[in-house]
Amino acid sequence: MKQLRILLAMALLVLTSGNMFASSHREAPITALDRSADVTDWYAFVSYDHPDRVTMILNVDPLLEPANGPNYFPFDPNVLYEMKIDNNRDGVEDITFQFRFKTEIRAPGVFTGFVGGIFGIPPITALNGPGSEGLSLRQTYTVTMIKNGKVTDLTGGNTLYAVPSNVGPLTMPSYNSLFNQGVYSLADKVRVFAGTVDDPFYIDLGAAFDSLNFRMGVGGILSPQVDADDTHNYAPDSVAGYNVNTIVLEVPISMLTSDGKLHGPGEKEAVIGTYGATSRPKVLVRRTNASAAAFQQVNREGNSLINELIIGTGSKDKFSTDDPKNDGQFAAFFLDPLLAHLFNSVLGIPVPPPPRLDLLPLVQYMPPICPGCGPNDAGPIADLLRLNTGIPPTPVGKQKRLGFLVGDVAGFPNGRRPIDDVVDIASRAVAGILVDSVKYGAPIGDGVNINENGYGTSFPYVMPANSGRNSHHVGPGQDGCSGQPNGICPVN
Amino acid sequence: MKKIVAFMLTILGAVSVFAQTAATTSILSPAQLSIARAQQLIDKNPKDFEAYNALALALARRAREISDPTFYTQGEQALDKSFAISPANYDGARIQVWLLLGKHDFASALEAATKLNKRVPDDVMVYGFLTDSNVELGNYSAAENAAQWMLNLRPGNLPGLTRAAYLRELFGDPEGAAELMKMALDSTPPGEAEDRAWITTQIAHLKLATGKTSEAEELLQQALAAFPGYHYALRNLGKVREQQKRYDEAVALFQQRYEAAPHAENLFDLAEALQMAGRTAEAKTAFTQFETKSLAETNRADNSNHELIMYDADYANEPRKALEVARREYARRHDVFTLDCYAWALHVNGQDAEARKQVETALAVGIQDANMLRHAGEISLKLGDRAGAERYLQQAAALNAPDSERARELLAALSLPTSRSPKP
Repeated sequence: MKQLRILLAMALLVLTSGNMFASSHREAPITALDRSADVTDWYAFVSYDHPDRVTMILNVDPLLEPANGPNYFPFDPNVLYEMKIDNNRDGVEDITFQFRFKTEIRAPGVFTGFVGGIFGIPPITALNGPGSEGLSLRQTYTVTMIKNGKVTDLTGGNTLYAVPSNVGPLTMPSYNSLFNQGVYSLADKVRVFAGTVDDPFYIDLGAAFDSLNFRMGVGGILSPQVDADDTHNYAPDSVAGYNVNTIVLEVPISMLTSDGKLHGPGEKEAVIGTYGATSRPKVLVRRTNASAAAFQQVNREGNSLINELIIGTGSKDKFSTDDPKNDGQFAAFFLDPLLAHLFNSVLGIPVPPPPRLDLLPLVQYMPPICPGCGPNDAGPIADLLRLNTGIPPTPVGKQKRLGFLVGDVAGFPNGRRPIDDVVDIASRAVAGILVDSVKYGAPIGDGVNINENGYGTSFPYVMPANSGRNSHHVGPGQDGCSGQPNGICPVN
Repeated sequence: MKKIVAFMLTILGAVSVFAQTAATTSILSPAQLSIARAQQLIDKNPKDFEAYNALALALARRAREISDPTFYTQGEQALDKSFAISPANYDGARIQVWLLLGKHDFASALEAATKLNKRVPDDVMVYGFLTDSNVELGNYSAAENAAQWMLNLRPGNLPGLTRAAYLRELFGDPEGAAELMKMALDSTPPGEAEDRAWITTQIAHLKLATGKTSEAEELLQQALAAFPGYHYALRNLGKVREQQKRYDEAVALFQQRYEAAPHAENLFDLAEALQMAGRTAEAKTAFTQFETKSLAETNRADNSNHELIMYDADYANEPRKALEVARREYARRHDVFTLDCYAWALHVNGQDAEARKQVETALAVGIQDANMLRHAGEISLKLGDRAGAERYLQQAAALNAPDSERARELLAALSLPTSRSPKP
């Protein structure tokens, strides 16, 4: 969801990035200065095919143009990528998974990062060994777990390769096979994947940020027919055809809970709070003798949209660099979101008066996500994506894009799956649907109901990267809205 | 050092759409392409103030590309139109500071950046402007604060890292500076050929200034491989060749660099190298050309007065002219390089007590510059402080930089050891 911040970014401020956007708009806060550390989305859910495991997805570096050679968008070796889990409701992480990347340039004389099928170099069909000769730019990574102060290397002697972007069919004739080679099974039922993939996020950014100027007859307030449609798009998905860098990790629930056991949905121990974060080494202009190992957080995401839609612009950077446990300082934004007033004035719908205590379950441990939590279990206000690990996954095919709002309780805001339509869900939550689903239940939506590339049904749950040669984006007036006549996306 | 500032601006402003210029061939330069794009937008909608902002920025880039300040004037005209449509637009105000820095009007840039900083307190870019203008004016403590804010607000951001690296160099920590530049390089995507070449050249410069000549040479070859004909790299490689006493090769490199970037100060390096190569007649011609070109811009903010002062003092035997230019420059800014030039101009006019005060003020910032230390040594000698002179000259010699040679010669002439025996 942070893509929208980037889309707002003026090219002026985008540093040494491969971003193809030169569109002039206001500049977003400084995340625009650091693409590779920009957390775009954070997901956590009980694995569809393994109800005893949790999958977490950390997406970084937004709106990657698949055709943007020659080097595409590697992970940043200076960034520490982290997944953090609170399991005792104090808002502080108890378990941290860390990912560190290294870049090797195997053929420094070659003009591009990836080559194959020409110059006598075989097509790229493998991440290592024969068939990998054309992978000049290659990245490896390590996985580390920190739990109770103990550091465990989960890499376990494996060499883990990040999956490169999909250059095109001549260079990478069986890209899906490369994608599959990037799935690694480590010890203790841990699986991991890292690489460039199709961005699973979907939204009509242009309309949303033109002051909620949703496409007429479609967005704003959805018709019952459009609202009920979980398989077609009625407005252009601004993210369609773009890639993102992802790290996907699956671990047993027993590795995450405070007592190492599985719990039923009614037990508070079943609920964890999660977030993804990026950090960089802390730098002082004048060097000191102190340890140089200190890291400083650059960005984080718990609940999608909190930073983008709720936190005031002047505080976004402070929010990004601070810890969730200190989010009480932003309580005023949660309890009286400006967006609710916008909905009221622009869409003309009623919204509940502040203080919006109904939004607290997003930032505290309480029902309905944590039915087992009493008044003393709420913990501090903290933007964590809360997941009740005791709620079994909804089988593929029965999952609903509106998740929790329509009874698919394994969906957002109980964790978040790639299929969950966080734009529509969060908009409705802000408009007050949790207070009174009739009075404040207007079906707000952008008309983008699916990710056109679909969703993975098993680990790593993301879809292979869009082809640099053969993919395209979707815009107003263009093909790409399967719910509209002839598939043409509306302009107005 | 103005090249550093100019490029830092480039880095700040690298318009990403041209990220892959190395891989594509285009007749138009990046700036020309941006100008054309902005013009198209304006043609489509003459009320699009953001398009005028983009045009102003593109014109500023063009000014740098071909070293033609008239583009700054055109940039200001584009901004005027932007402000006519949208009087208080923030991006326009930022680009205005950019233009002021590009024109080396540091005092006005500082004033404007300070205003912007009050308007939007946590804009990293504005802190970049504050850093740059304060560095150039010699307000190092303010510059340090602004650079630290950049790094605190957005850890690891590239403009913050490169600025902090430059400050570390000025504060006498070249190793620490190289460390930050290396970090910046690691975070620069492999496709960003020019940015990578610039950062690599900066690391080479830091190695060269501390006597690690072969490391510097290797890095410069890398930079030139990444971005062929890169004039910053050519300049530093020329300095490497001077250090190696391969003067004719140095001359060729400076010539190549002057063709790529025909600035007056680049002629000065060329003339000096010709002199070292013993090609006196060619050197004389080059110096004369330099003088003409430099005098033409001496009253502009964007000038080559530092080189002009050195030329008047060391080659033209015009001490009074040197001091006249130095006083003018000193009235504008108190950065360490201006202080050094001012000190040297005072010295050649026999005002050594004041000269010593100025050069020691510069050295107190921490910078380890062989020329500056040698100047301090010669000034001390003139004042009869032989011990002080010895100390400064030995420091200059110990750096093993290209400019250490003259300090070594002086020490030899004075029958002083080039280095002190280590203290027990």
